[in-house]
Amino acid sequence: MTETETYTGAVGASEILEAPRYSCAFAGAYAAAVATYGAVPILHSGAGCGIAQLFGQFYAGGQNAGGPTGGTSTPCSSLVEDHAIFGGEQKLRDLIASSIELMAGDLYVVVTGCVPSLIGDDVEAVAKEFRDRAPIVTVNTAGFKGTSYDGYEAYLLAVIDQLLEDRPTKRGRINVLGVVPYQHLFWKGELATIRETFAKVGVEANVVFTDFDGLERLKELPEAELTVVLSEWNGHRAAARLEERFGVPYVTFPSVPVGPKQTALLLREVATRLGLDEGRVEAVIKAEERSAYRFVEYLGDAYLLVRPHPYFSVIADSGAAIGLLRYLTDEMGYLPDLVQITDNPPEDRREAITGALVSHLATSVRPEVRFETDAWRIRQNQRGRTSLFLLASSLEKPIALEEFGTLPITVAFPSYDRMILDRSYAGFRGGLALMEEIISTYAGPL
Amino acid sequence: MTEKQRSLIDERIDLSTSTCPNREDRANGINVFYGSATELVGKARQGCLKNRDRKFQQTSGCALNFYLSVRVGTIRDAAVIYHAPLGCSAASLGYRELYRGVPVELGRPANYDLHWMTTNLSERDVVYGATAKLGEAIAEAERRYAPKAIFILTSCTSGSIGEDIEGLVNEVQPATKARIVPIHCEGVRSRLVQTGYDAFWHGVLKYLVKKPEKKQEDLVNVASMLSYTWQDRLEIKRILGRLGLRANFIPEFATVEQLEQLAEAAVTAPICPTYTDYLSRGLHQEFGVPFFLYPSPMGIANTDAWLREIAKHTGKEDEVERVIEEEHAVWMPKLKAIREDLARIKPDGSKVTVLGSLGQGRLLSQLPFFDELGLESVAAMCQDFDNLILEDLERLVEKVGDFPVPINTFQAAEQAHITRQLDPDLALTCPFQGGAFKRRKGLTRIHALRADPHPWSAQSGYAGTAAFGSFLIQSLKSHSFQQTLEEKTADSYRPWWYEQPNPLHYLAEERP
Repeated sequence: MTETETYTGAVGASEILEAPRYSCAFAGAYAAAVATYGAVPILHSGAGCGIAQLFGQFYAGGQNAGGPTGGTSTPCSSLVEDHAIFGGEQKLRDLIASSIELMAGDLYVVVTGCVPSLIGDDVEAVAKEFRDRAPIVTVNTAGFKGTSYDGYEAYLLAVIDQLLEDRPTKRGRINVLGVVPYQHLFWKGELATIRETFAKVGVEANVVFTDFDGLERLKELPEAELTVVLSEWNGHRAAARLEERFGVPYVTFPSVPVGPKQTALLLREVATRLGLDEGRVEAVIKAEERSAYRFVEYLGDAYLLVRPHPYFSVIADSGAAIGLLRYLTDEMGYLPDLVQITDNPPEDRREAITGALVSHLATSVRPEVRFETDAWRIRQNQRGRTSLFLLASSLEKPIALEEFGTLPITVAFPSYDRMILDRSYAGFRGGLALMEEIISTYAGPL
Repeated sequence: MTEKQRSLIDERIDLSTSTCPNREDRANGINVFYGSATELVGKARQGCLKNRDRKFQQTSGCALNFYLSVRVGTIRDAAVIYHAPLGCSAASLGYRELYRGVPVELGRPANYDLHWMTTNLSERDVVYGATAKLGEAIAEAERRYAPKAIFILTSCTSGSIGEDIEGLVNEVQPATKARIVPIHCEGVRSRLVQTGYDAFWHGVLKYLVKKPEKKQEDLVNVASMLSYTWQDRLEIKRILGRLGLRANFIPEFATVEQLEQLAEAAVTAPICPTYTDYLSRGLHQEFGVPFFLYPSPMGIANTDAWLREIAKHTGKEDEVERVIEEEHAVWMPKLKAIREDLARIKPDGSKVTVLGSLGQGRLLSQLPFFDELGLESVAAMCQDFDNLILEDLERLVEKVGDFPVPINTFQAAEQAHITRQLDPDLALTCPFQGGAFKRRKGLTRIHALRADPHPWSAQSGYAGTAAFGSFLIQSLKSHSFQQTLEEKTADSYRPWWYEQPNPLHYLAEERP
């Protein structure tokens, strides 16, 4: 068992910011543990760390309550100064023992916050004492070590290093990574859609999160023929580690696919990599397209008579921005104006993200792409634009109309104004949901 | 204030220090107890109430992240700087939306803008220190927002690495137009979230409150916290208005000026006594502003008494009796109708039993209020307890009799256990109870939040009495939500948890 390497934050993430659209590494690992059904997160941290993420990660991620193991249900060592003096290890030992006793879990995930890191607790040594009783993973994610996105990666790396063992490859099995729970608002609905879409062409997609036997899904990761990473930067380190340890190669797709064109591209690419029967794949694509576009016909009047070919801007994480922009631009005839990417991707991935946003668009219009995490500068940048629509977060909701003269739709973190349970923009029919929401912002008697 | 109580709490507010004492030290605060109110006050009197560790604990809130991180940022012409890693401020991401749901017609100002920043402490900062970064953040806040005040909220990390916040503030204040107000809310400093309130008021008293230029004889300070809604404000404004008085609602959604003029008020009145306590005492000690802590204006009798207390300090003793009489003429028939409705709920005609999940401030006002509505309290579940309310609790026990007081700060497993054990007809949940809401019988919330502008959400004053009564009746008309979830989803805890009798099963032995 290898010790998971200490995680260092993303490049350039250390500046002073107004309202960055993500939380800390601790939050990201905690969210990923909550998203792994059957896992019980155990927070080794101050008492407020979990509730802060209930407000700032779960509520902000589409107004979601914590569920049976998140929020105030989550065990927490609740460290105070007394413990800091003696070290928090005994407190953690008691907590792991009682959590296993009281809360039925297939997997226990110890997520470590700032304080134990600062006082030097040996979390791994304590966790080791319990490994004969239950599967346990420890994730070293002091909040100051990075963002929610780093925490997602740290969680997966910890799982790969501490839990997974080699298994024989299964034909037709893929892993899907890169969709970060809660940061990507539609993670639940979209992961299910992705799984169902692949199933139609005979591919079994392991999407890890939201399936009830989360531990088994994690253990199955080495069985895949291929890992499909649906992000230009999230999930890459985990996918690389899976390749390194278990020989599972990976392929990157710039985002969750939205609408028939992107979805067909993804299916074809994966089909080629897996050597699937081309005829079957094309038959599925044809049938799905036919049904999706039949519905698009119904939006024609409300689209053409009221707001045809509108300019729009995007303020979102790279994953949401790419899929939605390409759908609106390549399928709906919308014109992209300004795109502000808010998830602070590493410098060496920015060119690829920009490329995914501006290359081969079905319009002569080229959007301006900026990478910006500071809410104040984002606001300055958006002023004076002429977009009719703004695909953004609930931070923009109160100011969009009066300051930018644009109609806002919340599609990115944070989303306090939208309850998002099962909603999906992914797959062949995902664009329909998006268009329902966009047109509903202005629909009226024609 | 009696001699007896004086020894139980540390009354002196020392503004020469950088922060307040913890509630544990100031008033022997605890957040673990299961027993009767009589036992609780007895132990508190003898000084043998002890805070003990739990071997199983759930995330519950700290000095920063329960209250301050969602509320300080609503002060309208201020800016907040979190001297912290990213996650400590994530709860503030709703800042722009928080009060926008209140229609301008109901008194929300049309133009305002709220601001916060994080110094985004990184691993490098932990090693090399980040005081310079905080200095830059102050300068940047000043450039961007031109605020009247800058609140600095500290964190476990800034505390652990030994940042000299006061040193920096002294250095940069002369060149900064905004008044800088450091608030020491390091999460690890205290087990009690209420320490965060005191830490905030300490900063307000020390740095913001101005020496009164004039006395405003008609001004009543009302510190209202997140669990009191916009409608509560409107009702309080209305009834004080009837006496020719004005409410100075602080700190949420107030202006910096409203905080500066706290010392000019005629009296500081509570709507949550232990939230307001530190401020009230501080204003009294430093500027002679009178105060009272009991009762809060919740329920008709409490509201009467609250108004009479205010009237004493504002020379409105005569008017108040007339106002109360007129209000009674309007609201007593409504209260009677609510009592009658509630009395008809159970086929055997017995009282509807209720379990409230309360802050200790609410404990005092809500129990008599339930009684007034004709409900029977099976217990008063309380977030924490300290000697600040000891005498008032003793009086309450005399008045309504003994009752169980389970004390825990959002310990969801304990709350689920207690709720099942006591099995009230109606459980009033605060949202932070995990799965305790899944049950066969009645369920609703104990209070609405922050900027809820609907008349339905009120609980304060006379209108709030009627609104809350109707609200409770409404909740008893359907159990389908909690029943369906109880049936169709798994419980968070293994069955043995409910089969053993002790909600404090995991209480740790006392440290020698």
